[in-house]
Amino acid sequence: MRIDRLLIGLGKGLAVAVLLAWSLVPIAFVVISSFKPGRDIFAVPPRHAFSPTLDHYAALWTRWGVFFDGLWNSLLITAGATALAVIASTCAGYVYSRNAGRLLNGSVLFLIVVRLIPPIVITLPLFPIVNLLGLNDTHLVLMVLYATFFVSLGTVLMRTFIDQIPRELDEAAQIDGAGRLTILRRIIVPLAAPGILAVAVFVVVFAWNEFLFAFIFTGTNAKTAPLVISEMIGSIDGVDWGILFAASTVQLAPVLLFVVFMNRFLVAGLTAGATKG
Amino acid sequence: MRTRKLTDLLPFIAPVHILILSVIVLPALYVAWLSLMQSTFGQAPSFVGFANFRRVLADPAFRSALWNTVVLVMVAVHLELVVGLLLALLFASGLPFRRVLLVCTLAPYAVSEVIAVVSWRYLFDPDAGPVTQLLLSLGLPVLDWSFEPMHAMILIALLTIWLHLPFTFIILYAARLAIPADLYEAARIDGARPWQAFRRVTLPLLGPAIVVALLFRYIFAFRIFSEVWLLTGGGPARTTEVVAVYLYREALPTTPLARHRQPHGSWFWRRCCWRWVMWRCCASR
Repeated sequence: MRIDRLLIGLGKGLAVAVLLAWSLVPIAFVVISSFKPGRDIFAVPPRHAFSPTLDHYAALWTRWGVFFDGLWNSLLITAGATALAVIASTCAGYVYSRNAGRLLNGSVLFLIVVRLIPPIVITLPLFPIVNLLGLNDTHLVLMVLYATFFVSLGTVLMRTFIDQIPRELDEAAQIDGAGRLTILRRIIVPLAAPGILAVAVFVVVFAWNEFLFAFIFTGTNAKTAPLVISEMIGSIDGVDWGILFAASTVQLAPVLLFVVFMNRFLVAGLTAGATKG
Repeated sequence: MRTRKLTDLLPFIAPVHILILSVIVLPALYVAWLSLMQSTFGQAPSFVGFANFRRVLADPAFRSALWNTVVLVMVAVHLELVVGLLLALLFASGLPFRRVLLVCTLAPYAVSEVIAVVSWRYLFDPDAGPVTQLLLSLGLPVLDWSFEPMHAMILIALLTIWLHLPFTFIILYAARLAIPADLYEAARIDGARPWQAFRRVTLPLLGPAIVVALLFRYIFAFRIFSEVWLLTGGGPARTTEVVAVYLYREALPTTPLARHRQPHGSWFWRRCCWRWVMWRCCASR
């Protein structure tokens, strides 16, 4: 019996070790290598003891100014997309949670079904339209695209979260003469904050990391950080791995920390989305 | 009264619907319509029925891309499901530092496809990548992904699994936590062995979550673009192209616009039919 338990414990320990290696090694190598002197990055055998250096970051700063523009663009676009998606889905989620009716239920179903259309299908017809409107290579077009791809999930999530707020609160406020907008602002938003954060986590991670839309819809002006990094990879023969790792670390660190701190909301959002969506 | 209420509510739901209609629905309908047309830039489209579909299905490059996508999705999504399920059971069986381990498992979710490609290209570099060296020193075969299409596909599949395992895992884990402990208690009292408890209690109750995870992952996995584009660019010699990469290649360079419409259309309808079948299967259970 005791040997059994020991074996199970050992098995679990091994499984956890494999899991940690699998999840963290690819990330750790990027971060650690960004501090390695250039000649140690591809040392055979790999060199684990090295004197850390900030050379690659300095080189990134002087040689790839466009990367920092990209970061700024990513930040603007992520903020805009998140605000748009959160506001739109909170309003809609509120209405869907508090009202029923065949038309309303039908339109929720519509939101979910539409979400199944793959993005590549819409990018190509959208391209000439965006060009025609003169919106190509602007921040606005990416904000709108990213927000749109999350408003349906966001609406369903917000409905699930708002469903848990007792209706009596709305009614009490209504008797005190509050209109719909006031109820939304003063009662729903504060109480549904975990839901709002869950939606925000999804949109932030998606918008900060997205590649395909940025690749198609931006050129020079609104180029995002992942796109600049992909250009660094693109220069096939002359890949400067040190600079590439430095840029990757700078792009990765904020969103990784964000997910670590917001993991509760991420899990809550995925759970609610999976059971109700 | 009812219509007044509806117009009252409209401003609240309008933003969501305007976004979705203008950005997703109208372009998708436009593609579906164009898929039945012959059109090039600067020319009025003329109706050609299903000729476009026939032409694209006859294109060996499209068929190979379709085949690659299907194989990739089938292998990656199902492996993810099995591993995700095992992880969910591992976490549910009680682990020390559960929250920390959970956050570590979730970490790849935060990583951009672009960064993931940077990392995996480095780790598996055929000459000096750390993983390649590790495999060599253990006397194991290495992935020669820049020459061997099969090896490139394996690397793409691994990368996809790495990026998306957290999603599958969390959905299954949340569902596993929602199963009341009494059920296992009852099963144990009835003399069920661990395997029987898994087979008769866990698996049936996880059913809906498994379906949700699979559906989401099928949908997203079929869209795969960045991993392939950035890792191999569809090469060597278009052997690792997937549908989205094929579309991009056919659409944006010199080929006339008409040629690239049909795959969207056919792809779209095929997926709709297929999804309907899936839903029916789920509903009948």
